[in-house]
Amino acid sequence: MLKKTKILVAGVGGQGVVFLTNLLVKSALLAGIPVATSEIHGLSQRGGSVTAGITLGENTYGFLETAGVDILFGLEPLEAQRNIAYLHKNSIVIIDNNQILPYVVNAGNAPYPNIEKFVEYLKENIQFVIYNTESPKNMISVLRNLYVLGRACAETQFPIPAKFIEKAIVELAKKGFEEKSLEAFHLGLNIKSKTVNQNK
Amino acid sequence: MQKQTIDILTSFTKAQNRCEIGNVAIARGAIEVGVDGVFSYPGTPSTEISEVFNYVNEFQNQIDYQQKYPEQTKHKIYFEYSINEKIALEKAIAYSIGNKSALCVMKNVGMNVASDALMSVTYQTIIAPLVIVLCDDPGCHSSSNEQDSRYWGNMASVPVFNPATPKDAYQMTKQAFQLSAELRLPVIVRTTTRVSHTKGMLDYHEIKVNERIAHFDRLPEHINIPARTASAHQKLLLKLHSNIVDPYFAEFNKVLFAGNNKKIAIISSGVSTTYLLEIIEENKLANQLELLDLGLIFPFPDKQVLSFLQKGFKKVLIVEELEPIIENAVRNLAQKNNLTCEILGKGFSGLSVTGEFNLSQITQVLDELFQINSISNSPLNGFEEFAENLPARPPTLCSGCPHRASYYALKLIVPKKDNDTILCGDIGCSGLGALPPLKMIDTINHMGMSISMAQGLSQALNNKGTKTVAMLGDGTFFHSGISSLLNAVYTKSNILVIIFDNRTIGMTGHQDHPGATHLEKYQEIELEPLIKGMGVKFVETLMPFDTTDTYKKIQEAMSHQGVSVIISKAPCVFLPDYLNYTKQDSKIIIDHSKCNTCHNHSDEALVCSKMANSNSSLTRAIAKIRAEKRVDSKDQACPANICNHGFFNSILEKDYKTALNMVRDKLLFSRACGDICHRPCELFSNHESDTTIPIKQLKKFVSNIDENFNDFSTVFNQIKNAEKKDKKIAIIGAGPAGLSAAYDLIRDGFNVTVFEKQAAAGGLIKYVIPDFRMDKKGFDVEVSQLAKMGVQFHFNTSLGKDIQLEEIASQFDGVILALGLGKSNELEVVKSVSESKKFDALNFLKSYNQKSLTIKQGSAILVVGGGNSAIDVARSAKRLDATNTIILSCIETEAKMPAFNEEITHAKEEGIKIIANSFVATCSENGQIKIAIHQFDTKNHIQDLLCDYIVIAIGQIGNADEYAEIGLENLNTNNKIKANPSTGYTNYKNVFVAGDVGDENHMSLIGAIASGKRAVIGLKQQLEGYEFAYEGLDALLNLNHKEKEGKTADAIDLDGNINAFINKFNLFQSCEKCNHCIDNLGCPAMIKVNGKIVIDYPKCTKCGLCIDVCPNDAIKWEKRNY
Repeated sequence: MLKKTKILVAGVGGQGVVFLTNLLVKSALLAGIPVATSEIHGLSQRGGSVTAGITLGENTYGFLETAGVDILFGLEPLEAQRNIAYLHKNSIVIIDNNQILPYVVNAGNAPYPNIEKFVEYLKENIQFVIYNTESPKNMISVLRNLYVLGRACAETQFPIPAKFIEKAIVELAKKGFEEKSLEAFHLGLNIKSKTVNQNK
Repeated sequence: MQKQTIDILTSFTKAQNRCEIGNVAIARGAIEVGVDGVFSYPGTPSTEISEVFNYVNEFQNQIDYQQKYPEQTKHKIYFEYSINEKIALEKAIAYSIGNKSALCVMKNVGMNVASDALMSVTYQTIIAPLVIVLCDDPGCHSSSNEQDSRYWGNMASVPVFNPATPKDAYQMTKQAFQLSAELRLPVIVRTTTRVSHTKGMLDYHEIKVNERIAHFDRLPEHINIPARTASAHQKLLLKLHSNIVDPYFAEFNKVLFAGNNKKIAIISSGVSTTYLLEIIEENKLANQLELLDLGLIFPFPDKQVLSFLQKGFKKVLIVEELEPIIENAVRNLAQKNNLTCEILGKGFSGLSVTGEFNLSQITQVLDELFQINSISNSPLNGFEEFAENLPARPPTLCSGCPHRASYYALKLIVPKKDNDTILCGDIGCSGLGALPPLKMIDTINHMGMSISMAQGLSQALNNKGTKTVAMLGDGTFFHSGISSLLNAVYTKSNILVIIFDNRTIGMTGHQDHPGATHLEKYQEIELEPLIKGMGVKFVETLMPFDTTDTYKKIQEAMSHQGVSVIISKAPCVFLPDYLNYTKQDSKIIIDHSKCNTCHNHSDEALVCSKMANSNSSLTRAIAKIRAEKRVDSKDQACPANICNHGFFNSILEKDYKTALNMVRDKLLFSRACGDICHRPCELFSNHESDTTIPIKQLKKFVSNIDENFNDFSTVFNQIKNAEKKDKKIAIIGAGPAGLSAAYDLIRDGFNVTVFEKQAAAGGLIKYVIPDFRMDKKGFDVEVSQLAKMGVQFHFNTSLGKDIQLEEIASQFDGVILALGLGKSNELEVVKSVSESKKFDALNFLKSYNQKSLTIKQGSAILVVGGGNSAIDVARSAKRLDATNTIILSCIETEAKMPAFNEEITHAKEEGIKIIANSFVATCSENGQIKIAIHQFDTKNHIQDLLCDYIVIAIGQIGNADEYAEIGLENLNTNNKIKANPSTGYTNYKNVFVAGDVGDENHMSLIGAIASGKRAVIGLKQQLEGYEFAYEGLDALLNLNHKEKEGKTADAIDLDGNINAFINKFNLFQSCEKCNHCIDNLGCPAMIKVNGKIVIDYPKCTKCGLCIDVCPNDAIKWEKRNY
């Protein structure tokens, strides 16, 4: 039986955090893995910070604790950094460099953090980092998420096998988007990454 | 959505595994027991429950689905979103009394609205079961408070279930219906966000519908009158505490990890139980404690809890979020039964009444309880550095949201500096107008308070100042705004109510409401007739994206006495109808030459007078919408590049200090310019504009506010912060040209030395301009600042005598010659006149200023010359003695006289006779001076004059000996030095010219000042490789083109009239560092990239609002080629 795995998805309202969460839940179910989540719905679409916790395995209820997250999906870099307290030394972090400036940064009242510096820090302190800087075919956010999920499956010991994720994509994708969604996932799955950094 | 709807309506004989959020689990539970009707008002975190039934209802009502899915459409479930929770609960109660089972769903505060119904019905009876789902929000993720809805059990005497997981919620919902049927009481299922929005594993089972036959029985309980009350209350309590509840206690209140002789016990309820279970399992604490998980918490399970406590634990910890409801009941029980165990609860290990718990916190609690250090992961080393000071990201209005358009127009009408207008907002998407940059809300309370707050405040403040404004959404208006508005009309309140009609209840996910529905089953109710019917006299509907109309209508509404209502109507971005309001086939583009750049220069590093703050841009934005006349910036050019627009707009805001600082950002002599500048800025090159603005007069106005005038601190700060350069510049001549160069250089960090042949600085302005033309003392104050700034002066030092040009050029890194023209032209024909009766303009005026002229009274004085000096002489001579007769002769025709037009006018007004187109033909002295004046072009005799004195004012020439090193070939006929008109460079070493001594330089105060500034730029180009041209170059070169001049502004009465006058104008220009859209609009689709505004096209909804907003007209629809 799969040991407990805790996943945190962090992004900006409207980016597709909820969809990605539902996808992971569906894939887990198809794979026969017990799964639970904790989410906040409501204000999420109004461009605010959004996080969702997904826990896999028995006796979990969807909740995350400090230094308790095994896999962090940062769909937006600032949001990834915002959740750094959840990471421990064996964590895996996938950051998609899809920067969305909050108002205070746009107005020049606060600086956007130096993400490269953050990624360097992560590379030195945790197990594995995927820092995705490509956006093949200029994908929209929701499809980018699938691309990045594909990379996670390809480059890490992802707890849910890719074939179940594919099935889940077909079931959950918006009508007419099934093909594009699969394509995005496959693109990420097949990539030969140049940013592989295996630490410790 | 269709798939889920079919799934949730499908019965399963074999359990079907699902992972669903708590809310969906609740809906499924209700469906499985055959609920007949669902009544709700949207509210996070409950909305998903009602949305399930919204979809179910739509699905079941479609004829083709009824045929295709008979099983799922067999038992039709009624659903409505009532206009508020009170009506929803009342209708649910009535539904139940009609023998149909009902589910009523709302968020925590919803019960505050509905509680009257709940509190009374318990003294009566319901018939079919009624379950109320209440969703609490510990931590206030999306609520105004974190009230603990479990109290409603105690308060209303109804059972309360408190699930811990989605599976719990599902099971409890099903059983709640059964309990409600047995007790004939409403039953509450109370969740929190962490149950409602958590996904957990559960099984779907069979759907078992007991088809109820609707009917109404005339029971005495249905009539609630005081006579029944006492006995009804007793009956209620008997019901509640009957043993009907026992099996439910047994099912939902369970002891876990039961064992022998355990010392520690925990009683918990809700999501806290899941935290405890996870940690207990992780840290293997199961053999050290017993856990009593309470799912049915009201009526309080006294017997169960007592027998649990009587197991003899040493310590009992109660873990529950929010209020210590269970804790107090446990303590109560313990006290009554003389139990001696230690009871721990709130306050233990930081367990708080406020906020929500989390896994990490509960881990610490158990650590402390068991005195252990549990094994858990530690956060990364040094993570704090990356976690702190991150920019916040709160929710904002979406791009294209019509609320933003309404708030923006309101901002133009009520800028926040105006403290009189109070803006009372409300909850929902419209409440996001409180966030920056809009910040157009002063109060937000509970739902519907906006109108009450406005009328109440207006009453308290006795309607002082301007109208109070209430703002609320359309959904909120129907929910609780109607009665408040009625009250306002009834009590003759004086308020403006703005209803943001975005055709939906937005924040909770776009539900219908009476004012906006497309569903057959609902009757749409129009707002305007409704409000008019309430007796409101002023009601206007407007389209918020039409900024000009919106501005106008809101202004009218603000001036109306009494209740006025504005309906700001445009659909929410998420609605399909939104597309009809936008130009979907076009694209919005930004002209970057107009955005963030100034037309005069492109150097971003230049310290520009244009203010980089939101108030200034707000003022210009207001001017754009309001102004009757627009004046393009190209027509307002100051040779010193003072931003007259920033200057003017500061005055509009009554910020006279900033206006003065804007002038001083470019030149030091603001008061002098206000007195004697010939104001080329007011003269138009574009003759289509017939409007002039009295810039000079305004400059004089702001320069004469002594308190501001005497404060040079801004300039001194600039110098303090300037990066010091290791370069020394020599300036020869301390007239306005040289001093202006010194001013710019010292502020730019250079080392500056000024050599001056007189005993003091000031040149012609100090020594020669007569005192009746300007404030000489003020000028001295301005000049004296330079020494304080660190400019070194060497007085009584003459070029050519005390210092030589070649040596200065080698000792310094750069030299600016600002010598002026020291010699006066002589008139051959008057050579023979005795010295005591003959003057040149310079000497005459110098002596006049020093009051050392000895002119006898009643003299006749001839002034020869047609320039400003001649006029100054004439006017000074007249002032010496009013009985003096002054005649001026010049060879130019009056139209071509070089003197400034207004000076000529002054002279005439003062009684000076001007004989233009004339010359002195002969001159002889015999006591008086006899002069024959002939016409210049025809040479014919005009008249003879007898004068006592003659002053020759026919121009100056340079003293070429002083700058012999430059070479005669580089001089013109007046010994003026030829130089590059763009830079002032002389081609001689590192020497530049400024002021009158320069060949091309305009002989005026502003001409001198600007040429000094230009020479500095020339120097910087040479010394530092500075890339840009002098910022005011175009305007400076234009000075020489007199044919471009138009009319100067008429004098205006500034005292009193200033507002009415200047409000007419929009000095419309492109401005650097504008920032208006970011500072005042905040559309998420407009982002700044490398200092320019760029449209994020995937986010842009094409509402077109930004086009109206940009004060620089830099944004427009793309023109398509067809």
